[in-house]
Amino acid sequence: MDFKDYYKVLGVERGASDDEVRKAYRRLARKYHPDVSKEADAEHRMRDINEAKDVLADKERRAAYDTLADRVARGGSPGGDFQPPPGWDEGFEFHRGPPTGAHGPADQAEFSEFFSSLFGASERRSAARQNYRARGEDHHAAIEITLEEALQGAEREISLRGIETGPDGQPELKTRTLSVKIPAGVHPGQYIRLAKQGMPGHGGEPAGDLYLEVRIAPHARYRIEGRDLYMTLPVTPSEAALGASIEVPVPTGGTVELGVPAKARNGLKLRLKGRGFAGTPPGDLYLLLEIALPPADSDAARQAYEQLAAASSGFNPRRHLGV
Amino acid sequence: MAHVSVTTTTTLSATHPLAARELAHACGAGIEWVVQLVEVGIVSVPSRALPPDDWHFQSADLQQALAARRLERDFGVDLDAAALILDLQHELRRAKALLRSHGIEPGR
Repeated sequence: MDFKDYYKVLGVERGASDDEVRKAYRRLARKYHPDVSKEADAEHRMRDINEAKDVLADKERRAAYDTLADRVARGGSPGGDFQPPPGWDEGFEFHRGPPTGAHGPADQAEFSEFFSSLFGASERRSAARQNYRARGEDHHAAIEITLEEALQGAEREISLRGIETGPDGQPELKTRTLSVKIPAGVHPGQYIRLAKQGMPGHGGEPAGDLYLEVRIAPHARYRIEGRDLYMTLPVTPSEAALGASIEVPVPTGGTVELGVPAKARNGLKLRLKGRGFAGTPPGDLYLLLEIALPPADSDAARQAYEQLAAASSGFNPRRHLGV
Repeated sequence: MAHVSVTTTTTLSATHPLAARELAHACGAGIEWVVQLVEVGIVSVPSRALPPDDWHFQSADLQQALAARRLERDFGVDLDAAALILDLQHELRRAKALLRSHGIEPGR
């Protein structure tokens, strides 16, 4: 776990005002928002920017972070591997919720391991010191699984790190690992709810829940759009021109027979209904035809191309270019 | 290191939806905030004639509600503006998906 310089992430000085932090955040959010950014690492940068803003825009979090940064600087290598010392945030109170800061559990959705290990649990300790009854707050995290795991189900381990109060009443760094069963048929954007795996409750009330947002890792063969899957399907010129019945692999394993219609053009989209993600209605598998030319690497192949050229001498693929 | 096996998981769906209070709690808000989300159209319910305690929500609603919460906090927008931003965001993603479905990679 690397120590992160949140001031550097936002491009502001250590003494930057709240207004400067807010302006820097908004400027960078517009530049790196994954929906509009042209930067290659926009998603990763946006997560760091959100995280930095969540700390530096909050007076108490920022003061705690500054203390920690100073301690790390004195200890030597702030850029290397870093473990926050237990009890590093003693003396700070962290307040949650609107109206002042509007820090809700929603904030946690895109926190990195570094952030949640420093701040998530300290807020829990802060809450525990207060004398009230309330159900624990819900936690949010994203889990990236493969397409195969989404379709067939899987079991995954998730590590949650935080500072908790030990048996002696002192804070200590703890890692909690959850073994989670991912049910078959989950699709991107769906949430898996783990009851009572969020923040502990206060005053005898139950713990909150943990929500895992399902994300599917990019796949070498399939592209995901909602519940639909897309795959490029290479066909030969003769299959495209004359039509053919060909074997096609499907994401759940095995193959199906697909009828390629005669006179199929490059880019033609064929649909295998219900072969995408499960749901109501289920998604489809779309096949985008890509005509692959056989190489002219033998006398027989060259002769066949010459015969084809002679037989289709009236065909001009550049007619629309006026030549 | 504590190790916990979680065998009971629920996938949010039509058969396992979130109640309005659960949606509110997941976003660190109160049920009146969910009522506002419904009023501005950020999440929808089959019938607003029903009391909020009878409303149910799925994954897409939770995703919308969390996104609205962040827009409120990070950009100081009200929920009407958040609704417009989220609509535009969906339209942008839909248009990009349409391009990709025709084999065109949207310009980066």
